[in-house]
Amino acid sequence: MSSISFSGLLNSVFSFPILGYGASFLKDSVISVMRTGPVPKHVALIMDGNRTYAQRMNLPLRDGHNAGAESLVSVLDVCFRLGVHHVTIYAFSIENFNRSQEEIDTLFEILRDKLELLSLESSSFAQLNKIKIKIIGDKALIPEDILKDLEDVEERTKNSTSPRVLNVCFPYTSRDEITHSIREIATKAQAGEIQDIKNNIDLKLLHDSLYMGEEAPPLDLLIRTSGHTRLSDFMLWQCNENCTIEFVKTLWPDFKFLGITSLILKWMYYKTLQLDDEENDQGSTERKIVKNILQDLPHPPNIVSVTERG
Amino acid sequence: MSESSTIKHPGNTVRSRNIITVFNSILRNLFSSPPDSDKEYKSATNEIFYLLNRAILLSIFFFLAVYKNIQYLFRRMGSRISTLAYYPSKTPQLIREDVSKLSKIPKRVSCILDLRDDEDENGGVDGLISDISELTAWSISAGIPNLTIYEFNGTVTDYLPTLRRYIKKNLSIYFGTDAIPIFSIWVPHENIIIYSTDESQTVHPSSPPPHQVDLKITILSRVDGKPTIVELTKTMSELALNLELSVKDITTELIDEELVTLVGHEPDLLLSFGPSLDLQDYPPWHIRLSEIYWEPDNMYVDYAVFLRALQKYSNCKIKLGK
Repeated sequence: MSSISFSGLLNSVFSFPILGYGASFLKDSVISVMRTGPVPKHVALIMDGNRTYAQRMNLPLRDGHNAGAESLVSVLDVCFRLGVHHVTIYAFSIENFNRSQEEIDTLFEILRDKLELLSLESSSFAQLNKIKIKIIGDKALIPEDILKDLEDVEERTKNSTSPRVLNVCFPYTSRDEITHSIREIATKAQAGEIQDIKNNIDLKLLHDSLYMGEEAPPLDLLIRTSGHTRLSDFMLWQCNENCTIEFVKTLWPDFKFLGITSLILKWMYYKTLQLDDEENDQGSTERKIVKNILQDLPHPPNIVSVTERG
Repeated sequence: MSESSTIKHPGNTVRSRNIITVFNSILRNLFSSPPDSDKEYKSATNEIFYLLNRAILLSIFFFLAVYKNIQYLFRRMGSRISTLAYYPSKTPQLIREDVSKLSKIPKRVSCILDLRDDEDENGGVDGLISDISELTAWSISAGIPNLTIYEFNGTVTDYLPTLRRYIKKNLSIYFGTDAIPIFSIWVPHENIIIYSTDESQTVHPSSPPPHQVDLKITILSRVDGKPTIVELTKTMSELALNLELSVKDITTELIDEELVTLVGHEPDLLLSFGPSLDLQDYPPWHIRLSEIYWEPDNMYVDYAVFLRALQKYSNCKIKLGK
């Protein structure tokens, strides 16, 4: 509870014009400082805690989700300004279809409205920042009217020239994604497109056939808010190797500038040290590698046996 | 340890680092040329701004390093104290008493263990085997029926008879020599299952178990993860090519079924005993809803950590998409 009142206090302090200006100047400087270090290329977010937030603040559910959307915009802004290329968000899980129809409809509507708000006009966030929006997941499960709007959103932003991509996972589960990849490969094999099944099906092909495909860089940082230490079927394939997973207690609507920058800063700190280690290691392994000690030895003297003298 | 270098670990898991090496590398970074400043920082003013910002960043890292080290000291001290305070002196009754206070315990626990260097404390294969035998004893005492051990290289599969002997020896310390609990060890990749009761032969998993088993141990390594899914894809593609399997029938349920037979069930609780969370290429299909537990800066397979993980599990709510 204390974090809510604290951030609420901060927000009201910064709503004074001068302080607000100061704060945005401060934020800009933090970002330009952080840009000088190694920045994660791909960040994934599980935005958990909208409903708990609404309950705690005595708000209707819809306002909780709205507050979450606001949080998302500020987090996206920080990420893209820092130089993150791909941001992937878990908007709706296939398991979420277990919720009440009313909430599903609300969620779909909010998602559509927010994505349109992000991308509709030329002054909108996505178009201004040249962000490509991609829908990741089993599109067959989306109701037709919503799907059409979402495809419009994808269409409008697909010509962006910058590397910035927002992957919206909707409706998505990682197991479904892996299944999809296997099915794609089997379809290709059946059609005779893969010649030598034994040799040509490998980890890379399976990875490239995932919804996200080969263009997405490897995942560097996965963040889940509101304290659950589970992955809930999100990006299991991508996050289990060379990826920092952070579980934070903050509820998603309270997760703003400070939350995201501190996690990325922490990631950068360790990355800097790791890169430095790797540089040093390479130097030392070059020195260590000796191919075959036995063969490199000089010739021994002639071998002469006492009993087998020829 | 050479094999484990084939996997890249996330940055925050780099181990054995002291404050001096950290300062060293920060300083080196300060004086080294910026990595990718080719086009953006052309003009001289921009260059100066860049250097200034970089200096600020590195000084933040400097304070972070000090803070992390102090935090590390406190955490190590805390965990030492809790180990001293909690130690159940190898008595199953005490462990059961600890667990009885909890509202629920997991059916399947999976532990990610590290193979440490031979010269480290509790290192090498011997250290790994002694860790596994302790975990076995705790699980049986707590009443958990399934234990999975994940070690990246799968080193311990070459030492199964030794492992069985060690576990039995350790269990006899806990439970006495008259009635040692019965366990089975399953290595899915090699298709081997051995029972603690038959000293000699290895039985194939298809044959029925000889006795009531108190704990089923599964040994996994990285080949049970993504490579197994690749193999499954190959098999399914071949079946599809020969028209023995319709592509439409490849569903999440079918793959889950196959992977359960090939690798086992998804664990309810995934325990990492490393200093920070590193999944080390753990089978991705099997971490869907598992509750993940680890303690920052912890390094040992410790009963206090095991118990706290069970406590955390008993408090978590299980909700599927709701």
